[in-house]
Amino acid sequence: MRTRAVITSIFASIGVLLIGWQAGQTATTTTVSTPQASGTTARTSTTTSAATSAAASSASPSVAPAAPVGPKAKDGTYAGSSVNTQFGSVQVQVTISGGAITDVTPLHLTDQGGRSVQISNYAAPILHDEVLQAQSSRVSNVSGATYTTDAYLSSLQSALDKAGF
Amino acid sequence: MRHVFETMGTVASIEIAPTDAAQSLMPRLEAVFAEADARFSLYRPDSELSRVASGALTLMDASDEVRHAYGESLNWRDATGGAFTPNRPDGVTDLNGIVKAECIASAGILLENAGESGWSVNVGGDVLTSVSQQDGHPWTIGIVDPFDRTALLCSIDLVGGKRAVATSGSAERGDHVWLGGSTTPATFVQVTVVADDIITADVLATAILAGGAASLDEATERWNVDVLTIDRDGGMRATPGIRATISAPL
Repeated sequence: MRTRAVITSIFASIGVLLIGWQAGQTATTTTVSTPQASGTTARTSTTTSAATSAAASSASPSVAPAAPVGPKAKDGTYAGSSVNTQFGSVQVQVTISGGAITDVTPLHLTDQGGRSVQISNYAAPILHDEVLQAQSSRVSNVSGATYTTDAYLSSLQSALDKAGF
Repeated sequence: MRHVFETMGTVASIEIAPTDAAQSLMPRLEAVFAEADARFSLYRPDSELSRVASGALTLMDASDEVRHAYGESLNWRDATGGAFTPNRPDGVTDLNGIVKAECIASAGILLENAGESGWSVNVGGDVLTSVSQQDGHPWTIGIVDPFDRTALLCSIDLVGGKRAVATSGSAERGDHVWLGGSTTPATFVQVTVVADDIITADVLATAILAGGAASLDEATERWNVDVLTIDRDGGMRATPGIRATISAPL
């Protein structure tokens, strides 16, 4: 019961942290007026070059920097501040890579008695981007909710079976 | 090679090195599933379990196999706080949840005892594998996207002794999981559990789908399993083990 409450509070503090991060990002957007080459990601450089060619076609090739450069949170791992909840103090850590949050891990949890709580195998929210980059061509089996014989015919597993993969 | 056959209302795919020895094992493997299907299927009115369901046969008078499967189901019901149960809301005893997994486990033992390596058994989306592929690489299992069943959501490598993957979902076979008569929609539309053995993986995937977040936390705390869940709105949760294998460079 207590564990569940602690876990609920992690979600709460993740929320706080995310809101904080987003707020910081918004602030960055409004204050950054010039592009910083060192902080340009692959994605923003694409945007910049597109803007450059658009600018070139309007015969003012030197004003490319006017193109907005996306806000850039520095890559790294950030520990959130410890938040006191009725269930004890909770602290989470966020990893930012390429301007996006790529990981959220609970760092420290205590119960009401002040003891540290070990959560080694907690299922934490995961981001779609993290999953999408993991597509594999080495898959030879597909796990899914039990398919009926009919549904099998249109399934990925059926395709793999036919390929004799 | 791939050996594919229909059983238990779904399709089984066995992947194994193409040798004469492996080929000769296939009839025995099919028999494992056929025997259990004949005994436990509720779609066959003449099956032993159908006769139990209709009241023609009492559980006390049923075969050792049926009583064993029922006993195992009750053990898992107690272990999961009722999230997994063989007792359907309509009063029928449904042992499909455990029987399919036990058959997959039996198939794995048969293959091991025959000295086979580098095999996988996939029955209706529940997968058991040998320790590694023939070439020594870990097995990579694709996880289906519950919102587009012709697409993969991700893939997971089976490492650290985990050889079984089971996925439960509410998209297909809605009757497969009973939400305790509750009218509230399930928290998760799909739950994948990776475990050392297929029975634990299968039972816990069902239990977490039925029991929601509370069952998820309990399962990851009490069993050595990895879990990937998909919420109704597409949000995902994963244990560290899943996270490690899906973000590994491929």
